[in-house]
Amino acid sequence: MDVVEKANAATQRKWAKDAKIGEGTYAVVYRGREVATGRQVAIKKIKVGQFKDGLDMSAIREVKYLRELKHQNVIELLDVFSSKTNLNLVLEFLDTDLELVIKDRSLVFLPADIKAWIAMTFRGLEFCHRNWILHRDLKPNNLLISADGQLKLADFGLARDFADPGYKMTCQVITRWYRPPELLFGCRYYSTAVDIWSVGCIFAELMLRTPYLPGESDLDQLKTTFRALGTPTEEEWPGHSKLPDYISVGHFPRTPLRDLFTAASADCLNLLNKCLIYDPKKRISAKDALHHPYFSALPYPSHPSKLPKPAKKISALEEMDGNVDMSGPGPAVKANPPNNKLKRKLSSAEGDARSIARKLDFTQKSD
Amino acid sequence: MDDQCPVCKSDRYLNPKLRLLVSACYHKMCESCIDRLFTLGPAPCPICNKTLRKLAFTPQTFEDLGVEKEVAVRRRLAKDFNKRREDFPDLRSYNNYLEDAEDIAFNLINDIDIPETEARIAQYKIENANLIELNLRREEQYAQYLKEQEESDRFDREQRASELLKAEEDEREEREKGRRELIDKLETSDKDASKLVARSRAQAQKRASNRTSSTMNPAFQSSAKLLRSRAAQSTVIPDVPHVPLQDDWYAYEDKFTLRDNYDDPISEAVRKDREGIMRAGGYRVEEAWQRALTFAVAGLDLCPLGSAQPSADPDVVMVTA
Repeated sequence: MDVVEKANAATQRKWAKDAKIGEGTYAVVYRGREVATGRQVAIKKIKVGQFKDGLDMSAIREVKYLRELKHQNVIELLDVFSSKTNLNLVLEFLDTDLELVIKDRSLVFLPADIKAWIAMTFRGLEFCHRNWILHRDLKPNNLLISADGQLKLADFGLARDFADPGYKMTCQVITRWYRPPELLFGCRYYSTAVDIWSVGCIFAELMLRTPYLPGESDLDQLKTTFRALGTPTEEEWPGHSKLPDYISVGHFPRTPLRDLFTAASADCLNLLNKCLIYDPKKRISAKDALHHPYFSALPYPSHPSKLPKPAKKISALEEMDGNVDMSGPGPAVKANPPNNKLKRKLSSAEGDARSIARKLDFTQKSD
Repeated sequence: MDDQCPVCKSDRYLNPKLRLLVSACYHKMCESCIDRLFTLGPAPCPICNKTLRKLAFTPQTFEDLGVEKEVAVRRRLAKDFNKRREDFPDLRSYNNYLEDAEDIAFNLINDIDIPETEARIAQYKIENANLIELNLRREEQYAQYLKEQEESDRFDREQRASELLKAEEDEREEREKGRRELIDKLETSDKDASKLVARSRAQAQKRASNRTSSTMNPAFQSSAKLLRSRAAQSTVIPDVPHVPLQDDWYAYEDKFTLRDNYDDPISEAVRKDREGIMRAGGYRVEEAWQRALTFAVAGLDLCPLGSAQPSADPDVVMVTA
């Protein structure tokens, strides 16, 4: 047994696996605990052996970026160890996610609650962007909520660093309903603005209690977006008609947000508007968003511990972290499958994911 | 005393069916007077000479007519003066607005400068038409929400009651069955009678305790109760003002100043991008420069490692070297 194996064994002994919580195509999630303290954790076991391509790209990204990010609004990766041919990620244990909260019809959201959730989302996102990381898969399902009400960004399976000079990035990222128009137009050079669009969609969803732009296909997504926000003009968004997959889907007039969001305050709509600006360069940054008057105006954002949470029976299936199908019956299962399917398609369709994943082969003995 | 019409002076003694109504100018008179005076169309009030119509008379709600008037005035004003605290940038302007509204109400109640006050109200209505409409809709939504809440609460309650009823029914049946069984056993078996009775009693007790534990289901908590507990909570943990950034992660932003342009061969493609294909997606070459500079200055403050650092683990040395 060499030094690395010894270290791995020592790490493995620190964590105990309990009951299985959920299973997906490439990972199984267990409830676990730290042996020394008894603290609850979630252990994500990534199946390696059965895939020719080696380790799934999402797992590599998750480890790569979560290792570096430590923030109250980002899920914490506590440890990584391997067992036999599997890779295990030890993650912070989180009760529920924002999608379950939105779907639980018995809950009532106060304007202050929405403000608190969006503020926490922006805070986590700003931290990622400050550390040069794009999340690229923000959606309510990936915003987990801890027992004390803190919202945390999770599932960094599609994350990547940005601002390298002139490298192409894939445009097949972000769950369709939350994907910005520049990605739908096939843009290969983009920046932090893609995440901001997703937050805008989540923001709108929190107020509407139903997805804001639910497109049925990529083309339909563009149509849905333009129908809601108007077709962009060349002055509004210079250069967009030159993008690789640009396609004209008809001309729709812009309807004011006020028509749909009748109960929202003026500040609130102003911020939403700035998140959903077509030109990515004009879209608000996470940092500017946090300084927006919406957050400082009354009512104050709710204290995290007071935010509404779904009843226990629904959140019995914990750790909804991406890529994982829930086993066993329950309302959460019915709520999840469409998203999960979409999600899996995305991560496996990624071209560059394959090429890198092939280089890593965990079935061989590491030295 | 009060049961006398101020116009015709007839009272309850003379007319047992006497019913007094209040006019739009807040004067009382009996139904027969109203019939007499206003059947032939609008006519002046016998007390203050204001022109009145028969239909504008209302039953009296409050003993004191001053209160009656104030309530009517306030009800009318509340329809338009429905701004909320959130509509104002600070507490002071909200207080000023409330003061104004109170001023207008006072004037109307005490008949001071009526034309001028009415003009003020009209002016306010025009200026804030949108906001009034919006707040009206908000209130409607809230009322709607309360109604739904009540509805679901009632539904919950009914369901629970029917469940309880069913449980009672079951219990009675079971008890009956147990008794019959006991009698059967006592008849047929040759065991000790007192033992058999004791056993059936123990069983009954077990069933009862099962039932109580199943009815004590915590999932049965009406949402009204939940809401109330939320309201109680809010007094315990106060909401705090928004703090934009709550971490102290240092990103080296003060260690360099970004210039407008750099001689950078790698990013030439981006800068020469005439059609804006790269820039239309939000890509900014300045970000690449900023990142490169950040990484360049990131380690400047660190002391170099001492050369004579003994380490037990050879792998660690290999990594740092």
